[in-house]
Amino acid sequence: MVKSIKNLLLEFARIHRFLMRFFRELITPPYEFKEIIRQCYEIGWKSFPLISLTGFIVGFVFTKQSRPSLEEFGATSWLPSLISIAIVRALAPLVTALISSGKVGSQIGAELSSMNVTEQIDAMEVSGTNPYKYLIVSRILATSIMIPILTFYVSGIGLVGGYLSIISHDDLSMLSFFTQVFGAIEYIDVIAMVIRAVVFGFTIGFISCYVGYYSSKGTEGVGKAANSAVVASMFLVFLEEILIVQILSFFNY
Amino acid sequence: MDTKDRKRSITVGLFAFIGLLILIAGILVLGSQQSKFSKNLLIKTHFEDVKGLKVGNNVWFSGVKVGIIKSIKFKGVRDVEVLMNIEEKSSEYIRKDVAAKLGSDGLIGNSIITLEGGSPDVPAIEEGDVIQSASGTDMEDMLTTLQSNNKNLVRITENFVSVSEDIASGNGLIGALLTDSTLVVGLKQAIAGLNQTLAGAQTAVGDLTAVSAKLNQEKGLIHDLSTDTLVFANLRTSSNQLQEVSDKAVVLMDNIREVTERLNDKNNAVGVLTNDESVANEIKSILRNLNQSAEKLDQNMEALQHSFLIRRHLKKVID
Repeated sequence: MVKSIKNLLLEFARIHRFLMRFFRELITPPYEFKEIIRQCYEIGWKSFPLISLTGFIVGFVFTKQSRPSLEEFGATSWLPSLISIAIVRALAPLVTALISSGKVGSQIGAELSSMNVTEQIDAMEVSGTNPYKYLIVSRILATSIMIPILTFYVSGIGLVGGYLSIISHDDLSMLSFFTQVFGAIEYIDVIAMVIRAVVFGFTIGFISCYVGYYSSKGTEGVGKAANSAVVASMFLVFLEEILIVQILSFFNY
Repeated sequence: MDTKDRKRSITVGLFAFIGLLILIAGILVLGSQQSKFSKNLLIKTHFEDVKGLKVGNNVWFSGVKVGIIKSIKFKGVRDVEVLMNIEEKSSEYIRKDVAAKLGSDGLIGNSIITLEGGSPDVPAIEEGDVIQSASGTDMEDMLTTLQSNNKNLVRITENFVSVSEDIASGNGLIGALLTDSTLVVGLKQAIAGLNQTLAGAQTAVGDLTAVSAKLNQEKGLIHDLSTDTLVFANLRTSSNQLQEVSDKAVVLMDNIREVTERLNDKNNAVGVLTNDESVANEIKSILRNLNQSAEKLDQNMEALQHSFLIRRHLKKVID
């Protein structure tokens, strides 16, 4: 019992050190631009088809499923506002974060842990390259940049999906749809979406890298690291969602 | 390797650029729609009760969105101050005497403030103006009115029920009309009689028309009477004169009556002459005596003429 608490506290200390090291390495040269671009390409562009398809389906299905309950009291004309609020305030960042933590998190966790197992990281250190800068900082930066951008795509594509779902039932012009969409949301919603996306992206990158970097030696460590990267980052994404909603509710939200 | 790297950089750059473009476009559309970037005027109003109005709700003028609610705060007991941001480009059409009313955007929609009224000769609103507030159409008031309408409707339909029952059972005039066949026959006859009367009245009216047409012709006494003032004046003077004449005739008749009364009376000479027979006989005998006397005088005078004493003198007189 005491040992497990001790281990937990040690874990927290290690996470804290890892975090501090990230910020320290982030601001000190040299900067690994090429590696950052490569990670952005791997994380952002390679995830784009999967995530845009998911976003489209979420928008389409959500609209379709909301229609009957609004139809019950003849308020189908409010669908655009409903979709807009749902997608911009909640679904776009959350869906992007969940899909990314599945795809990107497992990828980072497995990659880093296998490097760790095969002692490539130690070899890198010996050869004079800063493995933390090259492997960790570039990946965390890439997720922190790319997941917000994926979120913007998802919100746009999700709204288009919602629009397509609506015009399969009603006649509604694109202009009227988007007028209603932007009538329902406010600046704070957009700002909150960006903040969330950045926080989620950072969380996914950070947790996956941490889990991969400190994975246990051995082949089973790779699978374990990939698994816990996904689980932990998803779990933390939901925790942060609750926290952000609570904080934003102070701003008349 | 190098070209692959460059290709990657371009892909990532484009990808990130388009993603940011979506965000920026969203923010710009949002800003233009919620008029965050256009210049605004701040005006105030006070309400007793804002009925769930929220910051960010719309302000409408003539059904057009012209601004949003900026803040709502208490200024006293039953006194809520509402600050509104009004777009500057719309403000020139909003006059200082508009009234703010609480309304709603559809039946179950958001609360809004509608600005109503405003006369063209009052200047436009300016920054910091306090406009008056008016109580808007309240759902509760509407329902209360509707309830009293319903009650009235119930009473009206009840009355209709009793009326239609009476009609169906043949009570009252309408019921009798609908059910009693003898009444119908009587009514028909009455209407026929009325028709005849009307026909007679029509001919009478035709005659009257002819008479009045004649009156209007420029001939005849009545026309002159009704049109010529000179004739009328003449008639008046002649009637006046007639009046005088008749007055005099009255006096004359009085005199005549007096005279005849006297004539009938025996107290005076004429009366005696006319009324007393013995007097008449006396007068006759007097006249006979007078006749005889005159004859004898004539003889005497004859004799005298021939008397020598005065013959010469008489001759002189006769010549």
